[in-house]
Amino acid sequence: MRITNLEKTIGKFHMEVNDFYIEPGKIHGIVGPNGCGKTVFLKMLAGIITPDKGILDYEGLSSRDITMMSQQPYLMHTSVYENLIYPLKIRGTRPDEDEIDEMLNRVGLREQKNQYARSLSSGERQKLSFLRAVIFKPKLIMVDETLSNLDSESEEMFVGIISEIQKERPITWLIVNHQMDHIYQLCDEIHYMEKGRFVKK
Amino acid sequence: MKKKVLAVLVAAAMCVSLAACGGNGEEKKEEKKETKAATEEQKEDKAGDKGRLMMATTTSTEDTGLLDYLKPIFKEDTGWDLEWNAVGTGEALKMGENGDVDVVLVHAKASEEEFIANGFGVERFPVMYNDFVVIGPKEPIAKTDDINAVFTQIINDQLPFVSRGDDSGTDKKEKKIWENLSLDPASDPNYIESGQGMGATITMADEQKAYCLTDRGTWLKQSKDATLESELEIVCEGDANLLNQYGVIAVSPEKYPELNNEGANDFIEWICSDKIQKLIGEYGIDEYGQALFTPNAGTDS
Amino acid sequence: MLEWLKSVVSDAGIISAVKVTFIMAVSSTAISSVLGILFGLLLERFSFPGKKIIVRINRTLMGVPPVVAGLVVYLLIMRRGPLGPLSLLFTIKGMVIAQVLIITPIISGMIYSYARKSAPSIRAFAVTMGATRWQTAKLIIRELRKEIYFCMVTGFGRSISEVGAVMLVGGNIKGRTRTMTTTISLLKSQGIFTEGVALGILLLVMAFILQWICDLLQKEGEEDENY
Repeated sequence: MRITNLEKTIGKFHMEVNDFYIEPGKIHGIVGPNGCGKTVFLKMLAGIITPDKGILDYEGLSSRDITMMSQQPYLMHTSVYENLIYPLKIRGTRPDEDEIDEMLNRVGLREQKNQYARSLSSGERQKLSFLRAVIFKPKLIMVDETLSNLDSESEEMFVGIISEIQKERPITWLIVNHQMDHIYQLCDEIHYMEKGRFVKK
Repeated sequence: MKKKVLAVLVAAAMCVSLAACGGNGEEKKEEKKETKAATEEQKEDKAGDKGRLMMATTTSTEDTGLLDYLKPIFKEDTGWDLEWNAVGTGEALKMGENGDVDVVLVHAKASEEEFIANGFGVERFPVMYNDFVVIGPKEPIAKTDDINAVFTQIINDQLPFVSRGDDSGTDKKEKKIWENLSLDPASDPNYIESGQGMGATITMADEQKAYCLTDRGTWLKQSKDATLESELEIVCEGDANLLNQYGVIAVSPEKYPELNNEGANDFIEWICSDKIQKLIGEYGIDEYGQALFTPNAGTDS
Repeated sequence: MLEWLKSVVSDAGIISAVKVTFIMAVSSTAISSVLGILFGLLLERFSFPGKKIIVRINRTLMGVPPVVAGLVVYLLIMRRGPLGPLSLLFTIKGMVIAQVLIITPIISGMIYSYARKSAPSIRAFAVTMGATRWQTAKLIIRELRKEIYFCMVTGFGRSISEVGAVMLVGGNIKGRTRTMTTTISLLKSQGIFTEGVALGILLLVMAFILQWICDLLQKEGEEDENY
């Protein structure tokens, strides 16, 4: 997807992205210090924030093909299972129970399947949020710091799942982090952001 | 549109009256100071401050303004501060039974006699009477002085009637009339019980274009003071059955020794005195063109 | 004691008062909930000039003394009022109108505060899930359901315990518009305390049950935040 002449001002913060191309089917990392505008950029792509001006060309992707994992994922007031199948439900897709069980098993949430989602620990919440984002097979997934500050075991697990997905059916990933770490081994391309602009490094 | 203006006026009136109340309070305080000074000067020939006398009475004596008129005179003559609770006769007598008040001034002779028979009251003294009237729309009942004819027609033609249904003196009077005629008001589907005071019941009757039995004093005051002019008129008055006798009773000091029996006796003696009886007989003439009560202390009523 | 309670509870007047109270409270809570929830959510959803003033007016109306609401409705529906021809005065319908006027702002005000707190994050979540507008609205309502129940219970509690407006507009007519609270008021004026106390106990029991439901709803709400 291509972003041209994007501008957004929030208070003192000003963002300007003149020409930015996201190659489909690749894993893109965005790195930059805190407050440089990474989250705002993702939220604009996700449609949560409207830009002041600019063109966002999704190249045929509809809002149903895009998702974003927030730093603090929103969990619905219901069970882990209901949270997980929500994106399927609103698309009228019948959930494949075996696949769901397998996915839950893989991240270690099988036991908590029928538990109240908001009783999960913050690490478990991130896992659930991750599964919920990949379950409906979107074509663009944005990850806002969700995969930072993980223990090495979980990190490996996520890296494993992501690379599997990429092998099976390559999709576009936009992974934001404020520091370089493990996840970036996955990235095909790394973009640097500073003070609301992309910079070359 | 007119109604909107009215609503605004009502709201404005609320504000004004609130402000007025505040003003009054201050004035009263000043007055009090003056009277205090005055009483101190004339300690010897005036009664002075004796304390509080608590009375339970019916709404009509308060609604007509009679008590407000008598209170300062009573204070001056006897030194007692008269305070009262204006409620229905049933509740007023109950307050006496519970020893919450020193004296009762009510109008339901049978209940009053029962009150004394049960040992709660000392002796009943007749004070005055006013009369009941039937109010209602001009049609179909023609104005008459025959209460029995009016009540019979209400049942026969199933005319709307609003009863207080609150066991008050007025309510008891109404029930007595039905009873004497062996009529059952419940057989009239348009007979309703408001369960509220006289003023609210009159307003309801006016709204429903219904008939209603009321004491004359409340009716006169209400038809004079209400924002909207009443569309009802007196359709029956002057029947001997419609007299409403008030009696005053001191609550038994034997049952409740802590009560102010001295004040109660002073009040009874005072309200039955020639001077006060004369004042009662003149009360209301200035404002309504007719007296609201007829004094009859010392009679056998 | 039991005999006395039995005789009170089987009294035709008391049964009728309980019935009238319930018909009135259920109707006014239902109508106020629909209006209040809709209004509260829409108020949170849309920005427009004058919104602040509307929110402020809503807050003010939340504390409107019931008798004032009663008086306003009385002036509207009395025979010589603008809605006089509808003959609503001294009917349950009239009482419901007055109560809707009292309860709707309470519900909409509460819903607005709750929605302002949690709707933006629900909306952002719905966008990331690719939900349509309609699905988003449904999700917000579903996520706020406990708050909504809480508001409805609060509204119902207000309704059954209210006396000023009901007395004014309903007129306390025996067997028709006499509610539990106006019956108590009447019984007191007659100096009959026993039945009044029995009705009072019944109301207290109902208030206790409602309070208990509210507590349950709030407790679950608190559990959510324990992470």
